[in-house]
Amino acid sequence: MNFVNVGLIGVIPPPRPDMNAPVEDPAQEVKRLQRCISDLVSLLALPAVWSGNELSQIVQILLDALLRMLNLDFICARLKNPVDAGLLEILRVSDSCKLRIPPQDISRVLNGWFGVDGEKSLPAIRHRFGDEDISIFPVPLGVHGESGMIVVGSDRLDFPGLTDSLLLSVAANQASIGLQEARLLAEQKRITHELDRRVAERTAELAAANDELRKEIVERKLAEERLRHEELELKRSESHKAAIVDSSVDCIVAIDHEGRITEFNPAAEHTFGHRRSDVLGRPLADVIIPPSLREKHRTGFARYLATGDSRVLGRRVEMNALCSDGREIPVELTITRIPQDGLPAFTGHLRDITERKRSEDALRLAHAQVLRSEERWRSVFENSAVGVALTDLDGRFIATNLVYQKMLGYTEDELQQLTFLDITHEENVEENRTLIGELLDEKRQQVQIEKQYRRKDGQPVWVRNNVSVVPGTERVPRFLMAISEDVTHRKLSEEALARARSELAKVARITSLGVLTASIAHEINQPLSGIITNASTCLRMLSADPPNVDGAQETVRRTIRDGNRVSDVITRLRTLYSRKEPSLESMDLNEATREVTAVSLSELQRSGVMLRYELAHDLPPVVADRVQLQQVILNLLRNAADAMGTTDDRPRELLIRTERDEENHVRLSVKDSGVGFAPQTAEKIFEPFYTTKTDGMGIGLSISRSIVEAHQGRLWATPNDGPGATFSFAIPCTLEGLSDAETRVDRSEPATDAA
Amino acid sequence: MDVSHGMPHGFVMESPKGRGGNEGLLLSVVVDDDESVRESLPDLLREFGFAAQAFSSAEEFLSSGCLDETSCLILDIAMPGMSGPELQQELKRRGREIPIIFITGRTDDTVRARVLKQGAAGFLLKPFSDSNLLAAIKVALHRT
Repeated sequence: MNFVNVGLIGVIPPPRPDMNAPVEDPAQEVKRLQRCISDLVSLLALPAVWSGNELSQIVQILLDALLRMLNLDFICARLKNPVDAGLLEILRVSDSCKLRIPPQDISRVLNGWFGVDGEKSLPAIRHRFGDEDISIFPVPLGVHGESGMIVVGSDRLDFPGLTDSLLLSVAANQASIGLQEARLLAEQKRITHELDRRVAERTAELAAANDELRKEIVERKLAEERLRHEELELKRSESHKAAIVDSSVDCIVAIDHEGRITEFNPAAEHTFGHRRSDVLGRPLADVIIPPSLREKHRTGFARYLATGDSRVLGRRVEMNALCSDGREIPVELTITRIPQDGLPAFTGHLRDITERKRSEDALRLAHAQVLRSEERWRSVFENSAVGVALTDLDGRFIATNLVYQKMLGYTEDELQQLTFLDITHEENVEENRTLIGELLDEKRQQVQIEKQYRRKDGQPVWVRNNVSVVPGTERVPRFLMAISEDVTHRKLSEEALARARSELAKVARITSLGVLTASIAHEINQPLSGIITNASTCLRMLSADPPNVDGAQETVRRTIRDGNRVSDVITRLRTLYSRKEPSLESMDLNEATREVTAVSLSELQRSGVMLRYELAHDLPPVVADRVQLQQVILNLLRNAADAMGTTDDRPRELLIRTERDEENHVRLSVKDSGVGFAPQTAEKIFEPFYTTKTDGMGIGLSISRSIVEAHQGRLWATPNDGPGATFSFAIPCTLEGLSDAETRVDRSEPATDAA
Repeated sequence: MDVSHGMPHGFVMESPKGRGGNEGLLLSVVVDDDESVRESLPDLLREFGFAAQAFSSAEEFLSSGCLDETSCLILDIAMPGMSGPELQQELKRRGREIPIIFITGRTDDTVRARVLKQGAAGFLLKPFSDSNLLAAIKVALHRT
C-alpha cells in the first residue's frame, strides 16, 4: 500500500470525471475502482492522523475527498468528538450545487436525519430542492451510528450505486475506526495524562509531605535552639542579677517569712562586719537590728504577716542599725516584699548614711551662715547711715535703701520706674552721664559726683555720690552701686561760710581800713597839732608889745611845713586809694611794700620798731589786687609790731624781705623779734577770732590768708631760730585761668618813696 | 635855752619854791619824739611866760640834770624807748613829784585812766588849743 504523507494539508485527490455519466467500459470501471481504493487506502491513512490533528480539519478533508470522489452535491458529517465528547457538524457543498441550492435549505432538511439523538434517523430518500430532486443517503458511523452520521446528497438518479456505497461504507468504517481509535487514543492519552497527573499529584503530595517534615524538623531545631538560648539568657540574667546584688554598694539583705536571713551581699558584709556564711539562716533582728528596736521590729513583722499592714514596707525610713563591733550607725532602709507565690520573703536595701548626715548638717550650718550673712548685708544695706542705691547699667533703679528713699521722697516702687538721671538736676546731667560712661568703659574704678537731685516734691537736695561698678557673678549681671550722702547741710553751710567770709572780708576791709584810718589819723594829727600850736604861738607873739615878728615868722614857717606834711600824707593816701574797686593788675610788690611802710613808718618808729628792708632787685611784676595785698602787708607789719610791743630786753627789729620764689612766684616775708608763737599754734593763728591781743578782733590773719589764697598763693608763719616769728606769703606772678585782657598793666601813677 | 623877755600877758608867776636859775621863771619841759611838737610847743610855753625846754626822749630828759628845776612836764605817751607812762613811773620811783600833763595823738581810755590814776595832772588829745593847754598847766601848778 502506498501511504501518502497526509499531513495537515490533507489529501487532495485529483479531479474525477463526472460520475453522472452512465457506466462505461468495465475496464474503465475497474480502473476507477482501483483508483478509488487507492484513494481510500490513503484515506485509511487518515485515521492515523485523526488523533493527532484537529478533528474538524480531518473531517473536512474526508468530506472534501468524498465529495470529489463521488461527485456529490453535498456531504454533511455530524459526529461526537471522541476527545471532548462534543458534537461536530460540518457541511460541504460542491461549487456547482451551491449555485443551484442555497446551503441553508440543505441544512434545514438534513436536521431531520440528525434529530435529537442521532440514533433514530431517516432512511435514504429523494428530496426535492427547488426544481431538483436530490438523493439523500445517510451513512452511519459506527455499528449503530453511535459514532455519528454522514449524510450525502447527490442529484444522480442511481445514487448511491454500488461503488458509491462501497466507497461510502469503507469511508464510514474507516472514519468510525479512526474515530474509535482517536477515541481510544484520546482515552489513552487521557488515562496517561490522568496517570501522569495522579503520579504528579502523588509526587507533589509526597514532596509536600516531605517539605512539611523538613519544616517540622527545622522548626524543632529552632525551638531547641531557642530553648537553649533562653536557658543561657536565664543563666546570664541570673548571674547578672547576682552580680548586681554582689557589686551593689548598697547593702542588700533578704529574709524569709520567719525573718531569717537568706541573702547578705558583700556590701552588707562590709558595712555590718559579718561574713555571709555566718549570718545566713540567723534572724535579722539579732544580727543588725539594735537591741532597743528589736521588740518593735518583731511586733511589726508579726503584724504584717497577720494583717498585711505594714508601716515600713516600700518606704524609705531612717533608723539605726547594729554593726558587728557593737556600733550603731544611721542607715536609710527600704524593705520590699519579693513577689512570689507561697510564703512571703522580703528584701531590704540599706545604706549607711553617716556621711550623708554629716554633710547634711554641714550644709544646714553653711546655709544658716549664708542666711545670717545675707541678713547682715541686708541689714547693712537697709540701716546704712547713708543712702545706697543699686541700678542696672542703664541707670534704672533695682534696689534702694530706706535712707535713699527718704532722701528723695520716693518709694522703692516709684524709684524702680526711674533712672538716676531722671532725678538729677539738669545742670549736673551732662557731667554725670560722662562720668558714668567712663566708669562703664572701665577707665575708672569709681567716680565721685557732687550734684543735686530733685526730690519728688520738687525740692533740691545736694548729695555726694560714690559710684562704682559691681562685677557680675554667674547668676547676677553687673550693676552700679551708689553710696549717696546728703550734703545739703554742708553745702548750705559752705555757702553760708562763703557768704560769711566775704562779709568778714568786707568787715575786715573796713576794719583794717579803720586801723589804717587810725594810722592815717595819727600821721595827720601830729602836723596838725603842730599847726595849731604854731598858729597860737604866732597870735600871742604878734599881740605882744612890741610884737615879736621874728618869732611869729618862725611859727608861720613851721606851720607851712607842717601843712606840707599833712599834704604829703593825703597825697600818699590818694595814691593808695585812688582805685574805686579792687581789680587785678600787674604790679611791683616792692613798690607796694614801700607805700605801705610809708604810711605806717612813723607809727612803727613810735613803737620803737626798727624797720629794715631787703627788697629783691630782680623781682618780677605780679598780677594781683594792689589794695588787698597792701592790706595784707599792713596787717603783717602791725602784727609784727604788736608782737614786739612787750619786749624790751632786746631791740625791736622788723625785717621786710621780698624775693623771687620758685616756679614763677614772688615771696614777701615779715620777720620780727617779738614774742613768737608755739609751733603747735602755727595753723591756729590763722583761724578767725584767734588773738593774743587784748584789743584785737583776731580776724586780720584769717582775712589776710583768704586774700593771699584768692591770689592762688599761700600765707604761713614760722618761728625764728632766735626770738620772734616770720610771716610770709608767696603768690604766683600770673594767675591761672586769666587772659591777658583781664589783667591791666597800669604803671601810670608815680612811685612815691617812703619817708 | 631861749628865754623870752617880758612877763606873760595877764599872768603872774611866782616860784613857790623859789627856784632860781631862770630869773624867777618856771621851767616847763616838753618830752616828745615828734619834731614839730618839740619845735612849736616851747615857743607857746614861752608866750605863756614859762622858761621852756624840749627833749626828744625820756632818757634824754632824765640825764639832762633839769629834773630839779622842772616845774611841769608836758609828756608824750608813745615814744621809742621809755614811754610817757614809764617815765611817770620812773619819776615816782625817784621821788620826784613833777606835775605831768600827757599829750597824745591816739585815744586810749585804758592808758588815760591809768596815767590819771598814777597822778597825772592832765591828759590832752592832739591837736589841742593853746587855751586848753594853759588851763591844764594852771591846774597842774595849782596842785603843787
